[in-house]
Amino acid sequence: MPIELKLLDDTTDQAKAVNLAQRLITQDKVNFFLGTYSTALVEAQSTVAEQNQIPYVTGGGAATSIYAKGYKWIFGTLAPVANLADTEMKWIAEQQAAGAVPKPARIALVWENTSHGKDFRKGVQDFTAAHPGDYTVVTDESFALDGKDFSAILSKVRAAKADLFMVDAHLPDFITMQRQYLSSNMCTKILTYGARGTESDAKAALGQTGVDYILSAVWWNKQLGNSGLNKEFVEKFTAKFGSAPEWYQALGYEAARSLFTAIAKAGSVDRAKVREQLSSLDMDSILPGGKLSYPPAKGGQADYPFVVQQNLPDGSSPIIYPAEVSTGKGVAPNPACKG
Amino acid sequence: MNEVFTLAVSAILLAGFYSAMAYGLGLIYGVLRIVNLAHGGIIMASAYLTWQLFDHFAIDPFLAIPIALVVFFGVGVAIYLGLVRFLPRGPAGAVQSLLLLFGVWLVIRNIAYLLFTGNEQVIHTEYATSSVRILGASFSVARIAVFGVALVALFALHLLLTRTYLGRAIRAVAQNPDSCTLAGINVERVYVLTFGLGTALAGLAGVLASALFAFTPSFGASELLKSFVIIVLGGLGSIVGIATGAAVLAFAEVFSVYVVPPYLTSAVGFVLLVVVLVLRPGGLFGQRVLR
Repeated sequence: MPIELKLLDDTTDQAKAVNLAQRLITQDKVNFFLGTYSTALVEAQSTVAEQNQIPYVTGGGAATSIYAKGYKWIFGTLAPVANLADTEMKWIAEQQAAGAVPKPARIALVWENTSHGKDFRKGVQDFTAAHPGDYTVVTDESFALDGKDFSAILSKVRAAKADLFMVDAHLPDFITMQRQYLSSNMCTKILTYGARGTESDAKAALGQTGVDYILSAVWWNKQLGNSGLNKEFVEKFTAKFGSAPEWYQALGYEAARSLFTAIAKAGSVDRAKVREQLSSLDMDSILPGGKLSYPPAKGGQADYPFVVQQNLPDGSSPIIYPAEVSTGKGVAPNPACKG
Repeated sequence: MNEVFTLAVSAILLAGFYSAMAYGLGLIYGVLRIVNLAHGGIIMASAYLTWQLFDHFAIDPFLAIPIALVVFFGVGVAIYLGLVRFLPRGPAGAVQSLLLLFGVWLVIRNIAYLLFTGNEQVIHTEYATSSVRILGASFSVARIAVFGVALVALFALHLLLTRTYLGRAIRAVAQNPDSCTLAGINVERVYVLTFGLGTALAGLAGVLASALFAFTPSFGASELLKSFVIIVLGGLGSIVGIATGAAVLAFAEVFSVYVVPPYLTSAVGFVLLVVVLVLRPGGLFGQRVLR
């Protein structure tokens, strides 16, 4: 079946994202949507898809709020951000069991005031609640996007004598906060900014020493590509674009692949039939766990564990958790901390 | 005590950036009575210019300041001569100027999207994460440098406005343009130079922002809003008032985390704005003319 792809740039503008979605329906008469990136934009476009009953598959919206509206036509390849926090906490629990992290460990939890940040906070809270006595949340603060000064929050974290500094932030706030964290000579035993830290932009902004030992968890990493579907994807992508794929490209790839799989199974471009196929999909995948499905119980959001990485001083960022896919060993506590 | 000292210094350093951010908007409003909605777009464009100079020619952001000042002075003069001068003066032109300059902002933003995409850009200098210790507390070298530049800009502007013929002409036009015409001052030329100077100052803010923050083409919106809060707090049309307004906003934001959740600190400035407008409509310092 021939596929025609119409690519439009929404310039990360919510109004434009909605207008373009409307245009694709009314003018271009598209059969399906492959969604945009970021929670706010996906939320806006998914409403258009729901109103027009068009299957909308996205690799760019992770917040559970997107999938909690009872919509029937949205399918997301990004697992919930709560899983990100949960996977990181599982690695931290291993370090705690090995005596590398104090027990109870003092957690400074700082999160952006968005559904993304709230999901991260929930993941940490759920884990700590399930492990009474192992952790104490000593700071629990949220911040608005695009902050210009985090000195007050950092001051609270310092005063709380936190062992684990767990932040959920998008790239601009991560850079601003980490610069202030470093210039105020703070050092916590474990430091994470959620999914941030391993990307090339982070190293470009902060230098290698500025990102050393930062812990991060992502939906996918090219180091998963040693065999099978992953190997095939990484090789084809690298051959076509000249650089290895990042997680957001892998998630976009899986979004498209799952839609095409559903179309093939439906045997037509009938929207209702394709939606049914997406709802019951269970296909082999490049994602951690090796399977991709869109469980209706989760509102169509995929559900799988993350991979945890840590930046090391040699410039590498091996996968350190889960053990079955790890490519290196993590370090805790942060050796850069004096004393 | 040490924590209060650390936060106070952090607030002062933040006030430096905030004041540099608002000088241009305040100067243009004080003289032309125009709220330059393209201000945020100019800040963003200047950040990109600085990034390009750093990326292609390894020019440090602080050394790029003279280049940005010259380039954006020219941009300001071009915007004035090509667009703003055709607007009616006084209240009749107020809404039109808002629409026109908002349109200019949108054009600048979309050009940036076309040229640089929506990806975050950032400048990493050797001193980006360096610190110096002051009375036992560590502070960012980059933020101290930004504060220093903002202080120099404040003194330079003060000297320009009080010690030069052009400055006296600007202040005179801000008070009464009609009388200035009768006194032989070329009011139109003062308007051109003021708009150019105000735009150059927005360019300066963009350079300083690029040394501290990541940016995209949508950068500048919150900077415009905060600049507006600052010039209203400081008294519309007062340069020293702007610096003080910036300090008030910065201290309010930094110390408010002990009263309200940190995610609400951005709103503190706007609450302050409403309170000041109700209690002291002329601003905290009440100046009505540029000085």
